[in-house]
Amino acid sequence: MIITNNLTKKYGEQIALDHLNLNVKEGEIYCLLGANGAGKTTTINLLLGFITPTSGSAFINQLDVQENPKATKRFLAYIPENLMLYPNLTAVENLDYFSGIAGKTLSRSDLKIVLEEAGLQSEAFENRISTFSKGMRQKVGIAIALAKEAKVLLLDEPTSGLDPKASNEFGVVLQKLREKGVATLMATHDLFRAKEVATQIGIMKDGQLKQQFAGHDITLPELEKAYLSTMDYKELVS
Amino acid sequence: MFSYNFKYELKQLLRSRWIQLLSIVLLLLFGFSTFNGIQKVEKRKKDITTAQEEVKENDAMMLKLLDSVERGLEVSASPWTIPTSPMAVGNYHPRVAAMEPQSMAFMATGQADLFTHYVKPTVSGDDFALNFTEMTSPVQLLFGSFDLAFVIVYLLPLLIIAFSYNVLSSEKESGSLRLLAAQPIGIQNWVLQKLGLRFFWLAVLVLIALTVVFLVHGINPFAQAAVYFGLLGIVLTYMLFWFALAFLINLWVGSSAKNAVALLGLWVVFVLLVPSVLNQMGNTLYPMPSRTLMINEMRSLKAEVTARQDEILDNYLRDHPEYALNDTTQTRSFWHRYMASQSLIKKELSPVVDAYEEQLQKQQDWVGRFKWISPAIIAQESLNQMAGTSTQDYESFRKQVIGFAASWREHFMPFLYNNQSFSQQDYPNLPKFVYTNTKTSVQNRVLLILGLSVLVYLIGILMYKRQTKNNLLAT
Amino acid sequence: MISKTFVKETKELLREGRVRIAVVIVLLLTGVAVWISARHYQNVNEQYEVAKTTERAVWDNQGEKNPHSAAHYGTYAFKPKYPLSLVDQGVDKFAGTSIFLEAHNRNEAQFSAAADQTALARFGDLTPDFILLFIIPLLIILLGYNSFTKEREMGTLTLLKSQGISNWKWLLGKWMALFLPVLVITTVLFLVAGLLLGNLSDFGVFSWSSLLMMYLVYLGYYIIFINIVLLISSKMKKSGISLVVSLCIWIIACLAAPKAASNIAENKHPYPTRQEFAANVLKDKKQGLDGHNPWSKETKLLEEEVLREYGVDSLHQLPFNFDGYRMQKSEEHEAEVYVKHYNYLKDQYAQQAKVYRGLAAISPYLPTRFLSMAIANTDYATHWDFADAAEEYRVATQKFLNDNFAVNSEYGNWSYQADADFWKGLPVFEYDPPELKTTLESNASNLMVMGGWLLGSFGLLLFTTKNF
Repeated sequence: MIITNNLTKKYGEQIALDHLNLNVKEGEIYCLLGANGAGKTTTINLLLGFITPTSGSAFINQLDVQENPKATKRFLAYIPENLMLYPNLTAVENLDYFSGIAGKTLSRSDLKIVLEEAGLQSEAFENRISTFSKGMRQKVGIAIALAKEAKVLLLDEPTSGLDPKASNEFGVVLQKLREKGVATLMATHDLFRAKEVATQIGIMKDGQLKQQFAGHDITLPELEKAYLSTMDYKELVS
Repeated sequence: MFSYNFKYELKQLLRSRWIQLLSIVLLLLFGFSTFNGIQKVEKRKKDITTAQEEVKENDAMMLKLLDSVERGLEVSASPWTIPTSPMAVGNYHPRVAAMEPQSMAFMATGQADLFTHYVKPTVSGDDFALNFTEMTSPVQLLFGSFDLAFVIVYLLPLLIIAFSYNVLSSEKESGSLRLLAAQPIGIQNWVLQKLGLRFFWLAVLVLIALTVVFLVHGINPFAQAAVYFGLLGIVLTYMLFWFALAFLINLWVGSSAKNAVALLGLWVVFVLLVPSVLNQMGNTLYPMPSRTLMINEMRSLKAEVTARQDEILDNYLRDHPEYALNDTTQTRSFWHRYMASQSLIKKELSPVVDAYEEQLQKQQDWVGRFKWISPAIIAQESLNQMAGTSTQDYESFRKQVIGFAASWREHFMPFLYNNQSFSQQDYPNLPKFVYTNTKTSVQNRVLLILGLSVLVYLIGILMYKRQTKNNLLAT
Repeated sequence: MISKTFVKETKELLREGRVRIAVVIVLLLTGVAVWISARHYQNVNEQYEVAKTTERAVWDNQGEKNPHSAAHYGTYAFKPKYPLSLVDQGVDKFAGTSIFLEAHNRNEAQFSAAADQTALARFGDLTPDFILLFIIPLLIILLGYNSFTKEREMGTLTLLKSQGISNWKWLLGKWMALFLPVLVITTVLFLVAGLLLGNLSDFGVFSWSSLLMMYLVYLGYYIIFINIVLLISSKMKKSGISLVVSLCIWIIACLAAPKAASNIAENKHPYPTRQEFAANVLKDKKQGLDGHNPWSKETKLLEEEVLREYGVDSLHQLPFNFDGYRMQKSEEHEAEVYVKHYNYLKDQYAQQAKVYRGLAAISPYLPTRFLSMAIANTDYATHWDFADAAEEYRVATQKFLNDNFAVNSEYGNWSYQADADFWKGLPVFEYDPPELKTTLESNASNLMVMGGWLLGSFGLLLFTTKNF
């Protein structure tokens, strides 16, 4: 579903992403770990077509992102790190708007079903977004992805700033989506949540993918050790 | 996408109270400015009526006096004011040459505060010395008038700027832009729809507010349909231009603050700087000859002419043998010499006087050639012309009055040189002044502003295509 | 702490592109404006000099003539341009520049520049006063609108508070940082203007003290704007809103209020039209002595009075020409009529000025505008002063001519002609504009309104930021 072929992005002399090769299949959750500036967000931006690669290519559902900017977006959903919706519109209205401009028309009851599926409490459906917490906005973001029946989900630091309960709920929803066959790419600092949800984990540094693991092959302490050693924090590891 | 944008844009505008706020502001601004305009027009009408009534009363007295004289009664008036003398009628009983306001004169004060709306030309005196400026405090002229044209030309763009400067940047700043850009839509298309909708709603509000204000003030806009639709055409295209600029800036510049500053800068350029620079360049390229030096010239000429009065009269009579033939008395008085000299002075000074008209015309042409640089100029000019208060209108009025002054003078010449008395029977034949409006059509101007808007819009699209999206979407 | 804040704010301003661009644009515009005004000034003054000397020559070389004919022939008074008009053109464009001085009639100044221009002239001119009054306040808004809101938005506000900063010291630091660039621009502009004016030779009555006063007035104006902008910035939550609100204040103060004031003033205290005014004057003139009418009732009364006074029984026995005497008496009556009617105009304007002062409560622009014009001698009051001086000169001229007529000829002798040299005896018309002190005294109310704005805005700023 998500494939990158030697995807590279340079800003002048500075290399933001260096020959990245990824393949995230249906029903997989791939977690990209790495420090700030490791190239995680650059990867997502490239997959979204927000920036153009210096070389290499990215594919969503077998379509080249650069060549089919609009078509690829039909299959994907994206939740930015700090998801802001229209504060003056309610949850239902925001969902209706975003799915509407994406070309999906849903009835009012369907919209509510989707929001419920995303885990938003029904009392909040008709409240304006300006009263929502970050976790609640995140859920509306998920609902947008659900309504769109996206095959690909791109997440940028989705759990940062969430309380443990909200973070846990978010993990549950991700699992549900995985079961539906959605391919998810999630950039995060959250080792704990990554270990919880990921089928694949990659650790990046300086734009390169340094290590990869299968999610179930590794324990949380092992993952932390691997992460820190990749980051050259050897003294901390020992 | 459009139906969703349409539905939710309206919802958001209502919930953020933009629509409500704009409606109130527009009603207040249009209401106050229209009120001001109407007050001015009322005063103008009243002044003219008063003047005309005064003439009527004077005429009644004149006829009474004539009647007395003709019946051989003793009259108490000063001898030189007795209307049997044609020169007395020509000087002391002038007609009112008035410029009645046009139906939509309240829209734009234009030059109405600078120039007078009626004069009473007499047979003596010089045409060019007729003072066409109005007695107004120069402070008022400096500050200008809070009229509908001011609201439209100056304030409406500022409302548009406040309404549209952050359509894209606020989405970027709140982060929803990345979510939007992840949808299968074109951002530039989306911005266009957003701004288009805002244009639509503002246009609706402006239309309603204008019509309501007109009706409240007792003006039936449909009675002057042509002018009313001309006004709407100008207002809508002028708004469109500012929305097109907002479109360009939204796509081009970055943060809300920068957008606001850029748009405001453009406002200063189009509304304040370009007009003043064009005006000053016009003045520099086609300078008005000095009025003070004109006075010198005129004085020397007059001094010379006065010295040769008798000779001039002889020449004049030679040119007009009919006067010499018809009159048996051949009396020659001060007036005979004076009028002959005046006609000579007029002839000799006409190149000097024409120079002013020519220069003004050249300045006008200069403005005409470059007015497309600023739609504010086009809008202001159109509104002035529709209101009948433009420079051209007053220029035309001035010419008509001078024409009338000549025919007024000519009317009395046979009386004077034939030494014939003015009598009651001659009264109905006195020339009357009728002002004819200059016809204007604003179609071309509407098209010009429309063209400019399209140009700005195309520049916006080109700019967007050429720049990488990086700075817009990269975090 | 004040200096720390000041240095930090100044650095922030200097490092921001918009500030540099804006300052460069303002300086560039100012340069162009000064250049245009200087050219215009020189042009007008050259014409003034030529016109003045030519007109005097025309008067002096009238040759032998009856003094009353000369009175009708008349002469002109031309209005000079004053040095500080280089900085503020005031109402010069809308006020006439030449007054025809003749027997029996007081004429209005005619030929205003605006009447000889296209309607574009009404948009305003690119002159230094335009920059000083409109653009620099805009610059202040641009520099200061986010002074406080940015601290809120970046979250540095809580950090600063946790450092135990004193509110008023923090405010003062920000205030100074905003004031400095404005001070620099204004000082440079006035210094350049001063040097330019000091170096041009024929610039007449230029005084540094007037320029200094004007400089202070503008600094006061800018301080008021800085206070308002900082006040708004400290009260608003977002930079965008702060910018919009500040701009609204600017629009109201600089554009809307003056126009609205002019409409209200005209509505409440209208001037008569030119024709009405002339008709009213004529009516009053007819009530009294007419020098050209030896048969009127008033003439008879005057005759009787004079005969009684000199103890003679016929006008021919008087030691002077009664015609000339009557002319002079009638001239005096007419002058009185004009005084009355012009006083009415002045009263109307005084009432209008009250409206302007009233609206100054919502617009610091208004008192500044009036003060600046007054100091530059380009205001309406100076125009009145000039017109009155010209009228005084006209009345004196008529007396000079009538007295000659009365003394040197006998009653009934209208063919009397004065010597060709006689005309040179008439003193030259000289006019000096009011001194700075007089100007300031007559503008005391405007100074007070400005003082009120300064104190009020400072007070409000300090009061509201006390518990920021």
